[in-house]
Amino acid sequence: MGLKAIFEQNPERRYIMFGGKGGLGKTTFSAATAYWLASRGKKVLVFSVDPQASLSDIFQKDIFGKGPVKIMENLWAQEVDADQHIKQYQGEIRQKILDMYGFDEVPDEIEQYIQAASAEPAMEESAIFDAVVDIVVEGSYDYYIYDLVPLGHALYYLSMAKVYDEWINKITKLREEMREYEEMVSRLKREKETEEDQILKELQYIRTRINASSRILTDREQTAFFFVVIPEEMILLDTQKAAGLFAKFDVPISGYVVNRVVPHELLQQVIPAYLRNRIEMQDKYILQIHEMFGKQVAAFVPELERDVTGLGMIEKLADIMYAE
Amino acid sequence: MPEGKKSFMQNMKEVIYGMAAHDMSRYAIRTRASMEHLFILITMGDMIGVPILPPYYSLRLLPYVVPQIATWKRRLLREKDISDAMF
Repeated sequence: MGLKAIFEQNPERRYIMFGGKGGLGKTTFSAATAYWLASRGKKVLVFSVDPQASLSDIFQKDIFGKGPVKIMENLWAQEVDADQHIKQYQGEIRQKILDMYGFDEVPDEIEQYIQAASAEPAMEESAIFDAVVDIVVEGSYDYYIYDLVPLGHALYYLSMAKVYDEWINKITKLREEMREYEEMVSRLKREKETEEDQILKELQYIRTRINASSRILTDREQTAFFFVVIPEEMILLDTQKAAGLFAKFDVPISGYVVNRVVPHELLQQVIPAYLRNRIEMQDKYILQIHEMFGKQVAAFVPELERDVTGLGMIEKLADIMYAE
Repeated sequence: MPEGKKSFMQNMKEVIYGMAAHDMSRYAIRTRASMEHLFILITMGDMIGVPILPPYYSLRLLPYVVPQIATWKRRLLREKDISDAMF
């Protein structure tokens, strides 16, 4: 089934993700898909969770850390600036401590912890994770297109949702047990009401955030995940491995898009042996792709005459990807 | 009845509470306190070098445990307390 048919037959799939190894064309396909949907009258947000995002480059507009930026009618693009997000968040935590206890400044020990926690590598990933929840929970777009980070990171991102989920369930349970003891004391002392547990409230809030995100990632009805591959051995082997891992996390894989296929028509012309060899090599792996992924191959996209940047080239690519 | 003086019933209530329920509620309070410390450990463990996932959301909880941090650290660093033997 072609990409166009996949989108037309599954209009309820509004969270679209392109994943794959670095440099194979995830951002390019995200942009082209966003363009195609927007030009058909759908309100689309394409956003990147990659700290080295390249949506700015492809749309030739600086959008880093600026929130959703309108690119054309119906099309918005956003690049999450994790550092900025973390700084703002730290500021909110400090302010809350000052407000709650009437301090003039945050105690040294606490300040050190805030700084140390923010320096951890997991912090940036979690901040991005949280920013994404903000983006998708807000919910006023018809389509959300995730320009994912390369495979390893994407897997980390996915597994994080599961780990968070388990972590939060455990501590919420502990907190609820603590609550029971508190209520028991109140009953024994015949006090009226125990104070509301603010921490439990926070935990429940965190849980709704995490659940929102992991639900979307694994939602068969609403999510479409496409793997981007190119006809080369290493890429195919890695992708097969990754697909297995994604399946373990219940991520619904909707199809494979094959990029950088050298056009066969060139064989009719006089071409150097170099190019002829490449076409032959690709033919071999395209055969393998058919064997590996069968009907899940959604599109073959040719190597274009130049790189895809700017709306003109994006439109050209979209026409090829979403041809009948 | 003058302010500050308790009625006979009030006194009885307290005596009965003392005999029947005081121990139970003290036990519950102690358990609750232990759990509080366990809770801080599994959310803020980084502070004493226990790596904890995920730091982003632990920060959200930090403001609420600020007053307990000092007691928590002290308690974790001490193996046993003399009061454990006394009560």
